[in-house]
Amino acid sequence: MAYADIAAFFPILLKGAVVTVQITLGALLLSTFLGLLLALMKRSPFAPISALASTFINVIRGLPIIVQLFYIYFVIPELGIDLSAFQASIIGLGIAYSAYQAENFRAGIEAIDSGQIEAAKSIGMKSALIMRRVVLPQAVRIALPPYGNTAVMILKDSSLASTITVAEMTRAGQLIAASTFQNTTVYTMVALMYLALSLPLIFGVNRLERFFSKSRQGANQ
Amino acid sequence: MIAIDHIHKAFGATQVLKGVSLEVAAGEVVCLIGPSGSGKSTVLRCINGLESYDSGAITIHGQTVDVRRSDIHALRTRVGMVFQRFNLFPHRTVLENVMEGPIFVKGEPRAEARQHAQSLLEKVGLAEKQAAYPTQLSGGQQQRVAIARALAMRPEAILFDEPTSALDPELVGDVLTVMRGLAAEGMTMVVVTHEMSFAKEVADRVCFLYGGQIVEEGPASRVLSEPQNARTQDFLRRVLDH
Ligand SMILES: Nc1ncnc2c1ncn2[C@@H]1O[C@H](COP(=O)(O)OP(=O)(O)O)[C@@H](O)[C@H]1O
Ligand SMILES: [Mg+2]
Repeated sequence: MAYADIAAFFPILLKGAVVTVQITLGALLLSTFLGLLLALMKRSPFAPISALASTFINVIRGLPIIVQLFYIYFVIPELGIDLSAFQASIIGLGIAYSAYQAENFRAGIEAIDSGQIEAAKSIGMKSALIMRRVVLPQAVRIALPPYGNTAVMILKDSSLASTITVAEMTRAGQLIAASTFQNTTVYTMVALMYLALSLPLIFGVNRLERFFSKSRQGANQ
Repeated sequence: MIAIDHIHKAFGATQVLKGVSLEVAAGEVVCLIGPSGSGKSTVLRCINGLESYDSGAITIHGQTVDVRRSDIHALRTRVGMVFQRFNLFPHRTVLENVMEGPIFVKGEPRAEARQHAQSLLEKVGLAEKQAAYPTQLSGGQQQRVAIARALAMRPEAILFDEPTSALDPELVGDVLTVMRGLAAEGMTMVVVTHEMSFAKEVADRVCFLYGGQIVEEGPASRVLSEPQNARTQDFLRRVLDH
């Protein structure tokens, strides 16, 4: 491993890392939005709406993410909608992870004691207000650790965007390795850079989990 | 002001209320007593529409209580409810719990809501706890906050569902004191309770519910001291024994 190689590769990989972070944040945002929508739809008293959400979630969970990416990148343009590979990767990952986010949010929402919801009703609150003022603020706290785990998974799976030509970090590594044959140096660097992004997230999640389990114990004393 | 006319209610195949009728006049305190499972909570929950009923009618000042109607929310602001398990919002402070309804349901200005909430907390003896979170309070304190939260809506009546049953014995007194105070001020109250001495002292009327029917009702002194119905006699003997 020559330092000269490392110095030469680093800026290229760093550019890829920026794209990786962009995809991760974009997909995280989209999956949060869609996941919340799906979780709320699933709780709808109107059966067709909850059935639609359940079907969507099951289909998404039953498909490999890479197939979803191919589908969005290669099939959607045939319908006349132009998507760059970058956009397709965000949409693909965002939709794929919305199913898991819906599950995170659903668990958070259902953890709220029904007595609180009745108390809210008894002071005249309507269901949308109960959601906003009573359920969601607490559900968000409960859903935060699994949410962080999902963020880590999206970060890692953003590497799948390399398969649809997005020049994120993994693909940048592939390109360098293919032209220099410095496989060990390149992929070690790529691995370390993923860890540099993911480990802080993982530690953050662990801290959150410890914090919440402690404060919940405190609540029962 | 509360008129329950022959309501029936079933959960699946189980008939829980079998023709319950009860009139509560403004300013009256009515205690509902009866064995566990006799339908006491269900009666209360029907009154403010937390539960629907299958037949019969419930009206509040002539306005029908119907879960499916959009005026149910406004109706609930007029009839408060205090639960056995307090059901405070754990992510909000004591003061915020009390202000929640006035601000977000009634749209009261924040300053006004705060002032009213503070005076109510003072009334229930918890002025110094307004910044605490529910989990930092004892059960008795939480229940008094729950009463303040109900009062903050300026209800015409309050329903209490075994408000002291989840409390350690030494904490029951403070809650009952607050309730006595409300009764003395003329608040209309329907109270499900096993505190017979409270019922005797505060209730204008006591109804004994058994198997989904009111089998005996009358002035507290008579029902509790000289029950006529064998079921009532049996129930009171068992409650007073332990
Ligand atoms: N949500 C429910 N679903 C099914 N059964 C219920 C429900 N709520 C109450 N019950 C039943 O109705 C009966 C009366 O319950 P409840 O009104 O809570 O009695 P009480 O408050 O007098 O103990 C009980 O047999 C109880 O099991
Ligand atoms: Mg009960």
